[in-house]
Amino acid sequence: MRPVLTFAQMTVRSLLRRRTVWGISIVILLALTGIGQVPGYGVTTQGRFILDFGLFGLEIGALLLAIGLASNIYPRDRETRTITPLLAVPLSRGQYLMGRFTGAAMIQAVSMIVGCLGLMVVLIVKQHAVPADLFPATGLLVVEGWFLLAVVFFFSFWTSPPLNAPLTALLFIVSQLSVSGFVGLFPRAPGLMRTLRLLLPHMDVFHIKDPIAHGMEIPGVYFLLAIVYGLSYMAFMLALALAVFRRRDMK
Amino acid sequence: MEDSPLSVRKLGKTFPRRLGLSSFRAVDSVDIQMSSGEILGFLGPNGAGKTTTIKCVLGLLRPSSGSISLWGEPPGSRGARRRIGFVPENPDYEDIFTPLELLSMFASMRGLDQDDRKERVLLSRVGLSGWERTRLRSFSKGMRQRVSLALALQSGPDLLVLDEPTGGLDPAARKEFRDIILEENRRGASVFLSSHLLSEVETVCHRAVILAKGRKVSEGTMEELLRTEDTYSVRYAAAEEGPEDVTEVRVPGDLLQSTIDEIRGRGLPIVSVAPVYRSLEEVFLTATGEEGPE
Amino acid sequence: MVISLLSLMSSCRTDYDIGEVAPESFEGEACDHSHTGQAGPEDEHSEHRHSEEHEQGSDTEGLSGSEMHFHEPGQRNHGTAWFFNQPWAASFVWGKMLRDSVVLVVLALTVYLGSGYRRRRR
Repeated sequence: MRPVLTFAQMTVRSLLRRRTVWGISIVILLALTGIGQVPGYGVTTQGRFILDFGLFGLEIGALLLAIGLASNIYPRDRETRTITPLLAVPLSRGQYLMGRFTGAAMIQAVSMIVGCLGLMVVLIVKQHAVPADLFPATGLLVVEGWFLLAVVFFFSFWTSPPLNAPLTALLFIVSQLSVSGFVGLFPRAPGLMRTLRLLLPHMDVFHIKDPIAHGMEIPGVYFLLAIVYGLSYMAFMLALALAVFRRRDMK
Repeated sequence: MEDSPLSVRKLGKTFPRRLGLSSFRAVDSVDIQMSSGEILGFLGPNGAGKTTTIKCVLGLLRPSSGSISLWGEPPGSRGARRRIGFVPENPDYEDIFTPLELLSMFASMRGLDQDDRKERVLLSRVGLSGWERTRLRSFSKGMRQRVSLALALQSGPDLLVLDEPTGGLDPAARKEFRDIILEENRRGASVFLSSHLLSEVETVCHRAVILAKGRKVSEGTMEELLRTEDTYSVRYAAAEEGPEDVTEVRVPGDLLQSTIDEIRGRGLPIVSVAPVYRSLEEVFLTATGEEGPE
Repeated sequence: MVISLLSLMSSCRTDYDIGEVAPESFEGEACDHSHTGQAGPEDEHSEHRHSEEHEQGSDTEGLSGSEMHFHEPGQRNHGTAWFFNQPWAASFVWGKMLRDSVVLVVLALTVYLGSGYRRRRR
């Protein structure tokens, strides 16, 4: 565990010195501030609007952060050859993957929490109530972001960064669709589409912005189950990523 | 076998080319056996397969055929990695860190105790005293090479794998590097040294393996490699009075005794009789078939 | 291997498509939006004040001008079934989420150990 944590710390320091993270975080905060400036049709409607779009913005932020943080880590390590001395001696491939992932996941979680606090400030400034479920909802988005990070790492071991981003975004979009919605994309082959959908995650599990915006209470057990589901899928994607990485030659 | 720090048997490595439609054999059936406490030179022209072999030994590349074991363990295994120190050809580390930070993080990743004082001593040993807190970004290749050596020595390794370690160094620094290698060897470490600098290999290595076009073309102790086949140099004084005017003749072993008898018969004093040695450069060029046109 | 294991999951075919797998008691597809948060199968729909004709109308009709209508607490509006066709509102898929989590963890362990074993064998 110690090598992974040390390497994660090294990754955090290394990522913070790049502009990508700061750029995406500033865009998220500006977007949240912008949402607060949109005039509402009524006090209740504006509060819903801010919450709905704010959480949607955080979700898109999670996707952008995952791509911005992780799509270039492994290709860059290969290109600059910094991976050679690391894998030759102190780290196994599993430790390398987990260290890089943990570092990126820490930055992503902090960025999302800062985004959530930003949203809270906007609500307070506009004199709207802050729903208690805003924080667990952000927690679910953090888990979704970690899952997306694992997906980005998985793609990064066998594609280039320019291909990684659209592949992850595509997965993000189609994973929101229900089975019937997915089959509707290509109705001529319903069997094939259903089978394909089986392999994709159910990202709608993480989305609770609608009920929160409408002031509905979500049972605590649901949050717990959704987090367990997200973390399990993340573990599965990381295992797949490691299986691919273990087969890679470090030329 | 388990005492042998490195045992390579029939190692082969093929890289696919043109989307797998063709392939390139970088290393072909290479055998290397290292003894404990030995300094083994690993020579070969560019593209001979030296770095590919080293990467296979370190578990960075998967061999296409053959086997490698380090103290009986597979390459890349935890047990093997713990006992190895590695200096890569290109010392590329994240340049946002200082040597002290890198040493501290590598110590933690290797499960060693972090000791700031020890790390400073190590940096001083490789000639980086005063540079401990400067980011690698402003370091020359030679200075990065020193950082690399410090990282390799950090755990007191049983096997040092050095891939062209003195490439970016000036002659004085090369000597310091050689001295450190010899010190480590005296401590008990085995050294696997890949180098283009034949004089360096000649000076420090006990044995050498020469690779050309992916195949092992020659191997032996330095004595065996440098000695010409059964040729002797006989030096004698041209006049009876003394050795001011010395003449040298080179004769094959079977004519050695008759030549000595003949010189003595002429009453001329023999100054020395010794086997003829070639330079490692000659050995290398002969073995790799790179001798220029006569 | 992954595909076959996933296929072994019973009723995977229609999982999470709440419109397809909802029990009859679930009103997400047929009924509508609660203004008070009393969502779920226990909602009653019998006390709607608006007419059958209105029930089939569009969202715009239902929300504009003189057509505006009110629901009793706990009743759903029409045209918002999508809102409840989501996992948070359909407690009958929660068990499946847990089951999938277990399957995914088992798969992750299998892939992890399998790839490690292959590497060691080489």
